[in-house]
Amino acid sequence: MHSLRFDGTFATWRQAARRALLQGLAPHQLQWLDEEAAPGLFDQPAERAPEPNGRLRVSPELLDLLESAAQYRGDERWSLLYRILWRFVQGERSAVLAGDPDGSELHRRLKAVRREAHHLHAFVRFQPSKAAGAPDFVAWFEPAHDILASASGHFAERLGKHSWLIATSRDGVYWDGQRLQHERRCPAHWQAWAQQPEDDGQALWRAYYGSTFNPARLNRTVMQQHLPLRFWKHLPEGPLIPQLMSEARAGAQRDGQALVLAGRKGKRIARINEGDASRPPSDDVSGSDAPDLPR
Amino acid sequence: MQLIEKLTILADAAKYDASCASSGAPKRSSKGKDGIGSTNGMGICHSYTPDGRCVALLKVLLTNFCLYDCQYCINRRSSDVPRARFTPEEVVTLTLDFYKRNCISGLFLSSGIIRSADYTMEQLIRVAKLLRQEHQFRGYIHLKTIPDAAPELIAEAGLYADRLSVNIELPTETSLVRLAPEKNVGSIHKAMHNIHLGEREAKEERRAPRFAPAGQSTQMIVGADATDDSTILHNAQSLYHDYRLRRVYYSAFSPIPQSPKTVPFEAPPLLREHRLYQADFLMRGYGFSATELLAGPGNLALDIDPKLAWALANREQFPVDLNRADESLIARVPGIGVLSARRLGALRRERRIRYEDLTRLRCVLEKARPFIITQDYRPPRAEHESVVLRQQLRDTPAQMALW
Repeated sequence: MHSLRFDGTFATWRQAARRALLQGLAPHQLQWLDEEAAPGLFDQPAERAPEPNGRLRVSPELLDLLESAAQYRGDERWSLLYRILWRFVQGERSAVLAGDPDGSELHRRLKAVRREAHHLHAFVRFQPSKAAGAPDFVAWFEPAHDILASASGHFAERLGKHSWLIATSRDGVYWDGQRLQHERRCPAHWQAWAQQPEDDGQALWRAYYGSTFNPARLNRTVMQQHLPLRFWKHLPEGPLIPQLMSEARAGAQRDGQALVLAGRKGKRIARINEGDASRPPSDDVSGSDAPDLPR
Repeated sequence: MQLIEKLTILADAAKYDASCASSGAPKRSSKGKDGIGSTNGMGICHSYTPDGRCVALLKVLLTNFCLYDCQYCINRRSSDVPRARFTPEEVVTLTLDFYKRNCISGLFLSSGIIRSADYTMEQLIRVAKLLRQEHQFRGYIHLKTIPDAAPELIAEAGLYADRLSVNIELPTETSLVRLAPEKNVGSIHKAMHNIHLGEREAKEERRAPRFAPAGQSTQMIVGADATDDSTILHNAQSLYHDYRLRRVYYSAFSPIPQSPKTVPFEAPPLLREHRLYQADFLMRGYGFSATELLAGPGNLALDIDPKLAWALANREQFPVDLNRADESLIARVPGIGVLSARRLGALRRERRIRYEDLTRLRCVLEKARPFIITQDYRPPRAEHESVVLRQQLRDTPAQMALW
């Protein structure tokens, strides 16, 4: 058994895998140890063999697939990739297809990674930053896979010339308006900036969230399928979710109106007549007075 | 009135419109530019409310004051609800703020009818124009189109909006006359036609101005009248065909406070709405026609999904040999979707399809089993009776109880 200890990046793994392939090492002869792996009692230090000569041809499509799948955190993170690469180089093209035992697992991981990138795009919540020296917007997020570096560019397209950062408990990204910086260990001051107290904007968002919910259609299962529990704690609307659910269950289910509006004084509008319809609009547009309607 | 209070009222007033899609817009980016916002064709759901619905856009009414008295609508003039009105600037501020926080991908703006259809439409356009021109906002904008508004206004709305929608509201003209006396089926169709023309011009003439690149959609309320699913689906099919709608949304009638006697007090089963969406998806994505899904009058079955219902009614097409059949026919097998059909196509170019492959592709085998042949599998004779199959394959009562 050869233990290959490496830094956990795809680039280093790729070089090590290339060497192992050229040495003809079969998947079962290899053990991949990234930074997360605890040092084993009988670890052999990776022998610094001279660079083997030889040519390997691997399609750029396969490399892309492997690189994406490498973002998946989980057991056999690297050994599956090597096994697929090994089989592919031996001529077993079906190793990458979803109908194959290894290919099926590969595609499951690709899907999980894509889904997590999508979760990042959906559930990151920026807050305008007040701290001196900090970027315009900051956010804290906890992705389940290592998608931060590859998926964060999305926010540069959204936020124009604004600067922003996303901190996690592991890595972090910082966009200064021109360039994306990715740190595999998130600097402590980034993390401090990202943990800000509540502001008024979040209260507005919560008001919207509570009102756009239809309590007559409560459906917890579907909701949790799409918005897994682990994301709730970083969403400003998170604390509101259980409250809205229990209120809906407690009896507001018969109609769709938001509970905060139920029973509030309303305003019926009289049937319009010709004269009123042509009345000029008043400047006072707020309040419950209708500027354009007969009173 | 405080902004937060207006928001509370005008979001509540807007939520009965089911659409919240932010997909289909062309690629736009603000990277290195003034202003904010991007679109890339894919929709993003930034949150989900406990009803399981996606929150992609800030969905509000500009005002819930309304001259119309549509019986199914919480904002009808005779309804005793709190009323409010945003200024266009307030909607702009909210949109930009929520957008920067990554709470939304854009705005879906609609309004009660105030003063006149044209006046109301002008107000909606003003918000979109402010966002696009003053603030260089490149996110998604969906504008509700007031059917009786002048065609020039619809054309102007198309300049700023990614999507326009006119609600068909009810599936038949009789119901519309009865429940929405101020609305008119003719002007609804005319507005859809105008939007369709605008889309076509923008596509065919290179120098034509931009026009609603994410197309148009509509909404039909289900269960506020007695119309059956067959009528609803045939109606949807002609809307897709006549105006190239991107989506028809089906919204199960949701009881409203102080409901008038003309509409039901109970919501239809949400499962009915779900089956309509499934059938709609089969029409859009799988090439099924409304007649294939429901030949005569009546409703879709609630206990089985429409694809399974079609398969049980068309046993002569089955079992399908996965090693020989067309991908389009494979996609018609219950439990096998379009993606799996394509993957089976790729796999069988390498080798023969075996039963086990379907497990790996995560097909729903309980449903697919009676309808397929693989190299190592043939459905046993006992499974041939449709009535028995239906008994075995119906959605379990546990799932039904969720609704």
